[in-house]
Amino acid sequence: MNPSLKLGLVLIASFEIAFMQSIVANITIAALGLLYLLSKRVSLKKLLWLLLVPIIPVIGTWLSFYAHGTGDVFHSAWLLSTRIYAYIYLGGILTLTVSVEDLLGSLEQNCHIPTKFVYGTLGAFNFVPRVNQTVKQMKIAALMRGEVLHVWSPEIFFKSILVSLRWSDNLAQAMQSHGFSEYTKRSHYQTYSIPKWNWALAVILLICLQILAFGHFI
Amino acid sequence: MEKLTIENLSFCYQKNDSKVLNDLNLKLPDGTMNLLFGPSGCGKSTLMKIIAGLYPEYAGHVLSGTINFNEQSTENWTTRDIAKHIAILFQNPTDQFSMTTVKQEFIFTLENLGYPRQQMDQRIQHALERLDIAHFIDRRLDSLSGGELQKVSLAITLAMDCDLIILDEPFACIDLKSRQQLLKLLKDLQVNDGKTILVSDHDLMGYQDIIDNLFHFQAGQIVKVNDTQHIFQRYQKANQSLQFSLPEKSESIVDLCNLQLKNGQKPLITDSSLEFSNGKLILLTGENGSGKSAFFSALTKLHDYSGLIEYQHKNIQKYNSRKYARQIGLVFQDAQMQYLKLTLQEEIDLSLKHTRYQDFWTKKRVKDYLQLLHLDHLREHIVYQLSGGQKKKLQIFEMLILGNPVLLLDEPLSGLDLDSTKAVMEMIKSIASQQSQTIVMISHQLGGLNGFFDYHLQLADQKLSYTEVLNYESIS
Repeated sequence: MNPSLKLGLVLIASFEIAFMQSIVANITIAALGLLYLLSKRVSLKKLLWLLLVPIIPVIGTWLSFYAHGTGDVFHSAWLLSTRIYAYIYLGGILTLTVSVEDLLGSLEQNCHIPTKFVYGTLGAFNFVPRVNQTVKQMKIAALMRGEVLHVWSPEIFFKSILVSLRWSDNLAQAMQSHGFSEYTKRSHYQTYSIPKWNWALAVILLICLQILAFGHFI
Repeated sequence: MEKLTIENLSFCYQKNDSKVLNDLNLKLPDGTMNLLFGPSGCGKSTLMKIIAGLYPEYAGHVLSGTINFNEQSTENWTTRDIAKHIAILFQNPTDQFSMTTVKQEFIFTLENLGYPRQQMDQRIQHALERLDIAHFIDRRLDSLSGGELQKVSLAITLAMDCDLIILDEPFACIDLKSRQQLLKLLKDLQVNDGKTILVSDHDLMGYQDIIDNLFHFQAGQIVKVNDTQHIFQRYQKANQSLQFSLPEKSESIVDLCNLQLKNGQKPLITDSSLEFSNGKLILLTGENGSGKSAFFSALTKLHDYSGLIEYQHKNIQKYNSRKYARQIGLVFQDAQMQYLKLTLQEEIDLSLKHTRYQDFWTKKRVKDYLQLLHLDHLREHIVYQLSGGQKKKLQIFEMLILGNPVLLLDEPLSGLDLDSTKAVMEMIKSIASQQSQTIVMISHQLGGLNGFFDYHLQLADQKLSYTEVLNYESIS
């Protein structure tokens, strides 16, 4: 499915889940998400990871609602803990099956998001490995001078700001030197379109979602 | 016909500041190879960024002057117009790219210029093949060395179909071999593809037989040199060599055992075993991208490696990082990485607070060294506002004060003129011997280093080894 449309659907679904009072709806959404991820051949290790990582917050939520909740504590305990899984798999649908490049490319072409935002973000993503390395270097450099930098040390923020200012300027000049300008129309090597069946599927999924939301399930 | 004409151009960074370019004039005839030379920091980069349309957008103010391209004014050109005609290669090739792989960067560029999709693959293929680097197409940009990145940049300018290529000190970050290859390539592009080329450099080596015009940049203006023979004679290439002794069996402080180092998939060092003798000064050389800096990173636990590194006969991984950082210090290539405070005085005070030799560092001694480095009058200055050379000198001094048993210096002499180089080397030698430190230093610049080092460690063919003689080419 087209990445922008997928993003839109996931956002709408997440919004509605927040108001749904049905355990069955949560489990259905999580299960459909899992099935989708399986059909997209996402590695089993990642799927298992999605199942295991939230286990502590899920148990925590369950216990706290069971112990301290009011009204039907059993229902709210299960409702809130299954809701976490529904969110996790919805998130998985987006992050595990769509690359950053595809999502931004599609947002540029289908949603007409400003190109400056699209390529600025993409450039920033490409800087991530450098950011990690630089923070590590800053810490070791400080240790060598006998000072320990913590996450909350003002020095680390000051130095990060200096570095980012330089990087952002360099990135802007690098992009411009290769002809980038936010005002001219660009051509596209990879084009993203939204085929009719995408729209049809989106409408069907949305209708199903409303049934889950407004139907009287447990 | 003139490809580029600049008339009466004046430029300054801050209003009321002195002018970096002062009533400058320049004419580049179509299809010629031109060299602009002048010392580092004189304003060559500024001029090139103005021609490429980056300044004054990103910095400074144009006070007066006109730039004509193909005898037409460029005043109303859009970014795309400029990019289609004028390409700029930055001093540091890693600053040129914003995407992850070679192909993505090509596509990004061609999309910016609005080339139809059907033409793109062919354009990319042609450009890469022209420079014999078709196999780079799917490589990640961060896995390429400086020289390889410069070639990719050049290939992109071909795909963009620019007729003027300007290169800003393109060889500052690359080794001799890549330099010769690239110069040959540039000449080829000029002769066979009719490109007009403008290169700036502070070093004239290798240009004599390939350029059509030589321009000298001085005091914000450009003068065409008519008697080029005379200038090149002064820059005669001379073969020189440095002599070292080989390490004898003695007490070691760092031991390497079957060290292997990689950069991504690319092997840098394979299976090297050797030791650093305690209290010696060691010079480390090797071609650009061969892995010298990565080796220093491994020694300071900033880069993964396999094999064993021992400090004082104990695996460095077994040291607590806080303690270890006080044993092996690293002077980073980027001086700002080392700073933690705002003023020069605060920086010195911080080092004095943590020095291992409190008694040695008297007020007078600090003052003497600061005077030797011409930094004494700058004590209240903000460190980030010092000039490149001053930053470097302060950084080396504050790391020496700490008195770590081992100090690694990564290109500490880059950007220093000959007098500063001498002062810095004398300071390193005298402080290191009084604090009985072991020094390992990477340097590209070899002039003026005679007699300072005990040993020479060479990184070649993925092996680290000590050698007695280091041959190099230099400008006399």
